[in-house]
Amino acid sequence: MTGNSEGIRVASLDDIPEGEGVAISSDITGTDDDIAILRDDDGTCWALNDTCTHETASLAEGWVEDGDVECPLHSSRFNLKTGKVDGLPATRDTVPHRVEVRDGEVYLFPGERP
Amino acid sequence: MTGSSVSPVGSVASVVVVGGGIAGVSTVAELRKNGYAGELTLLSADPLPYDRPPLSKEYLAGSRDLDSLALQPAEWYAEQQVTLVGGAVAAALQPDAGEVELADGRVLSADRIVLATGGRAVRPPIGSPIHVLRDVADADSLRTRLVAGARLLIVGGGLIGAEVASTARGLGAEVTLVDPLDPPLAAAVGIEVASWLHGLHGSHGVETLSTTVETVLETSAGVAVQLRGEPDSRVFDTVLVAVGLAPETSLAEAAGLETSRGVLVDADQVTSHPTVLAVGDCARPRGHHRAEHWEAAQHDGARAAATILGLERAAVTAPWWWSDRYGLHVEGVGEMRIADAEHEVVVRGVVGEPPFSVFTLRGERVIGAVAVDDPNAVRAARRMIDRGVAVCGSDLGDPGVSLRKMLRGLG
Ligand SMILES: Cc1cc2nc3c(=O)[nH]c(=O)nc-3n(C[C@H](O)[C@H](O)[C@H](O)COP(=O)(O)OP(=O)(O)OC[C@H]3O[C@@H](n4cnc5c(N)ncnc54)[C@H](O)[C@@H]3O)c2cc1C
Ligand code: FES
Repeated sequence: MTGNSEGIRVASLDDIPEGEGVAISSDITGTDDDIAILRDDDGTCWALNDTCTHETASLAEGWVEDGDVECPLHSSRFNLKTGKVDGLPATRDTVPHRVEVRDGEVYLFPGERP
Repeated sequence: MTGSSVSPVGSVASVVVVGGGIAGVSTVAELRKNGYAGELTLLSADPLPYDRPPLSKEYLAGSRDLDSLALQPAEWYAEQQVTLVGGAVAAALQPDAGEVELADGRVLSADRIVLATGGRAVRPPIGSPIHVLRDVADADSLRTRLVAGARLLIVGGGLIGAEVASTARGLGAEVTLVDPLDPPLAAAVGIEVASWLHGLHGSHGVETLSTTVETVLETSAGVAVQLRGEPDSRVFDTVLVAVGLAPETSLAEAAGLETSRGVLVDADQVTSHPTVLAVGDCARPRGHHRAEHWEAAQHDGARAAATILGLERAAVTAPWWWSDRYGLHVEGVGEMRIADAEHEVVVRGVVGEPPFSVFTLRGERVIGAVAVDDPNAVRAARRMIDRGVAVCGSDLGDPGVSLRKMLRGLG
């Protein structure tokens, strides 16, 4: 694990197919919630708090497309960049975190805005 | 068109929405989101509009409270400049005058009226006492009776009946479920999945009977229920009847609007009166069935808002729903058929070993899918249906082939 100035290396880009995500445990991120690393269908990587703000679904298991992740339980959508919710039943935005991809590795900066 | 500085329909300066369910709340939300700046009133029989799906699941189980069911927090209505009139029951409509009369005598007038009145649970004439489950009061009275060892009869093994069976078992009740269909829900999920789902009741200690209820009678020993084909009646503590929805069309009917198993609407949600729209469970698109699912009601609201604002309506997407039982998450999209000359049924995984999914194809096109604990299979299927993507059945049935790649035509 490296220090926060360089981010935490959490995954290899190749391990996250486009349109999918992986959950990184709060033990690693040091945050209250786990963090979902989400790969958009254009290949870009984003990070949001993993637990849906509606019930308890893991957004890492959601459907990632066109800048949003769709919750796997009741399909509320969250913007990958801002965490803003678009569409009920969730009503609360979620928290985005900054990620950086260097040499095919994904680095997470928990608590930093993208 | 969204974001244009001139309102496309300048004449609409006031809208009253009758009914605070997901359809009504979505209508007001979508009006504001798309730039409607006029007066907006939401009449809600409840103090604060709430969400219904948890009523047979977490709310009935006691793991979520009423506050957490709010569709929007109370302050949202003020932020959105929506006048929420809680406890308001509309008693009559005057479509030509654009008026809604409330039960307490108040009269509201508006350029457009949107009916979002949902429906009531059907109560067949089989006697009493029977419970139904449509609102919080129903859930509260059912919940007090679901104690360990209580004998519950559920009439109807559809989505809601099955969810209650699962929740009641979790609370320790003894559950018997009757339905004349064996299995129920075959039309919604296909026969194979329906059989497996129905069989889950038995493996969770629920007695399932393939029959109907003839009479229900209060006796000193409990509620005596006569089932068709049985010599003697059986005794239960509680009877829940979950046999369907009667759309709430009374306002529309009294106002002379066309109704037939729902308030009849066109593809823009407009009723037979040009200034009255209808959305959600109370509405039926001409020539189609009522959807009776949560997302369909939400989409209706968005379409009604687009109609009122003169915006282009969003493309219709394949209908989607979810349901939960015995810790499993079931989703469906589009229509399921049996395999025949025109239709192919493809299983991805093994039915009965979640996660799995089943697809119906007509030629190279997916027309429906059902998944258990595999929501992304349904999300992929939905996009295949909506985008008319040509797929090959054998790829679809191979869990090693990525559905996302197939969707992009890379399968
Ligand atoms: C127990 C239960 C579980 C469900 N689970 C699921 C699920 O898991 N997945 C799914 O997809 N769907 C589910 N559904 C279906 C879904 O909840 C409905 O399709 C949805 O609620 C329909 O929304 P609506 O706004 O059209 O109607 P409703 O939610 O019925 O809202 C209509 C509102 O209008 C009010 N009203 C009626 N008449 C008047 C009047 N004259 N004046 C003022 N107000 C009036 C009513 O009181 C009500 O509050 C479930 C339904 C129930 C009952
Ligand atoms: S848990 Fe995410 S929308 Fe319900």
